Amino acid sequence: MFNNKKVNIFLIIVGIIIFIFLPRFVSGYWVRVITTIFMYAVISQGINLMSGYMGYLPFGNAMFFGVGAYITAIGMGKGLSFLAVLPLAALTAILVSILFGLPVLRLRGHYFAIATIGMSGALLSVVQNATEITGGAMGTTLPIIDKSPEVTYNYFYLAMLALMVITTLTIYLIIKSKFGFGIRSIKANEEAANSMGINTTYHKVIAWAISALFTSIAGALYAYWMSFIGPEEVFDVMIAVNTIVIMLIGGAGSILGPIIGAFVISLLSEVVWSTFLEYHLAVLGITIIIIVFFVPKGITGAIADFVKKRELRLRKKVSV
Amino acid sequence: MKDNLLLKVSNLDAGYGAIQVLWDISLEVKQKEVVCIIGANGAGKSTLLKSIVGMIPSSKGEIFYSGNNITKMASPERIKMGLGFAPEGRHLFFGLTVEDNLLMGAFQRKYNKSVKEDLDFVYALFKPLKGYSRKLAGNLSGGEQQMCAIGRALMSRPTLLIIDELSLGLAPVVVDDLIDIIAKLRKERGISILLVEQDVKVALDIADRGYVLEAGAVSIHDKADRLAKNEHIKAAYLGVA
Repeated sequence: MFNNKKVNIFLIIVGIIIFIFLPRFVSGYWVRVITTIFMYAVISQGINLMSGYMGYLPFGNAMFFGVGAYITAIGMGKGLSFLAVLPLAALTAILVSILFGLPVLRLRGHYFAIATIGMSGALLSVVQNATEITGGAMGTTLPIIDKSPEVTYNYFYLAMLALMVITTLTIYLIIKSKFGFGIRSIKANEEAANSMGINTTYHKVIAWAISALFTSIAGALYAYWMSFIGPEEVFDVMIAVNTIVIMLIGGAGSILGPIIGAFVISLLSEVVWSTFLEYHLAVLGITIIIIVFFVPKGITGAIADFVKKRELRLRKKVSV
Repeated sequence: MKDNLLLKVSNLDAGYGAIQVLWDISLEVKQKEVVCIIGANGAGKSTLLKSIVGMIPSSKGEIFYSGNNITKMASPERIKMGLGFAPEGRHLFFGLTVEDNLLMGAFQRKYNKSVKEDLDFVYALFKPLKGYSRKLAGNLSGGEQQMCAIGRALMSRPTLLIIDELSLGLAPVVVDDLIDIIAKLRKERGISILLVEQDVKVALDIADRGYVLEAGAVSIHDKADRLAKNEHIKAAYLGVA
């Protein structure tokens, strides 16, 4: 069932249609929760490209979320429309990723992860102190959409859903391309990739730029949606940490992993939060440890293993 | 004489950061020639190969490849010019299948019919690989891994194949097979081969000429059969007093 391409495409289209019409059947609260899930899936997908496929864990990826959010806030504060400001936000994030990426992507493993946290922190400080432009630590407001809250929330729900679908599709196509082959070779063995004549610097910088692009659009949508943002909130390292956990639970290096992970973690924390109000973080943490312990390859990895085992069993039966 | 010169390294200095490893190295490989580099541990053999492939920048000297100055080129460009590299420790993509590993060697080419032909050529050359084409490279035995690494280097259609540590950690039977294959490559495809080898006997057996590296400098270079008779080499590397 999971190996048949046509069945998979059919299932995915049905899933998308269900999500398009879902807001008609659930409360406004759940619409907002699911919008957040879509947003986390997008950010996690950006981390998946960098870490799951390329082997570089970008712990500071929240900085692109923050850049996207703040460029949107500043641009709209100057009277630009959201659609005019969106390309600007994305472009700025891409520029930041290339500027930071060229030196920092020479580092490997933990050193790269730590360096990106440092950069994220540096950008946070800049935003906090450039009070005249960004509003400083107090945060800044964006124009509110002149429609009923329900319509507004549905609008952001659909926008975030579209972003998630586009992000996932783009990353899927990249991974299936020759460029993606190069990216996977970097994870497998960067030294060998180099000696095969693969321009690893180019691959790494472009991959991070793509990661920055989608993360910044998520940030832009978030800022417009919330209509108020603070620097501590959008440059929060925990955004990256949460999405890394989401990727690991869902399945790193699998295209649907971040989406499945986002739903599982967010719904899990909803349930845990509403039943164990006082200890919900502890319960959630223990649950995550248990999942990682028993399903180390993530949910998609466990499904793939299960399918493979079943096929082997079927083949054995046939041969006997 | 000058016409069939494939690789020429002249007065090369190189190293890692502030530590200089190679001192004034000059080396030549002619077309269809098998050249070996021998020397003790830490003599700079691997460093020399890495700087020829462009993975380490050189601080002085020049490298020419079929008449072109490649000293300032990055390694992807050098691979494109016809250098094929099988690195030390084999450095396979362990998480990818054997076939993907081989395809990775042809990364700079368009994946078309000629790549498929080369894939068949490599499978014909290294018969054990064919059966494992869908297996992960990390699950291969040492000898198969070395075959995969050499096969991968061949996928870029190199005119000069550079092999670091051909026989390291391999059973003597496997080494014999590899020696046959190297002879075959030279004869059938006209590929020149530059190899680093710990086992001096094996090295001098397959090579036409040899260079002896000592403390980062070439101490002797000569025809292989004459090196095998050299008293100093006999005493230092072959264990014959």
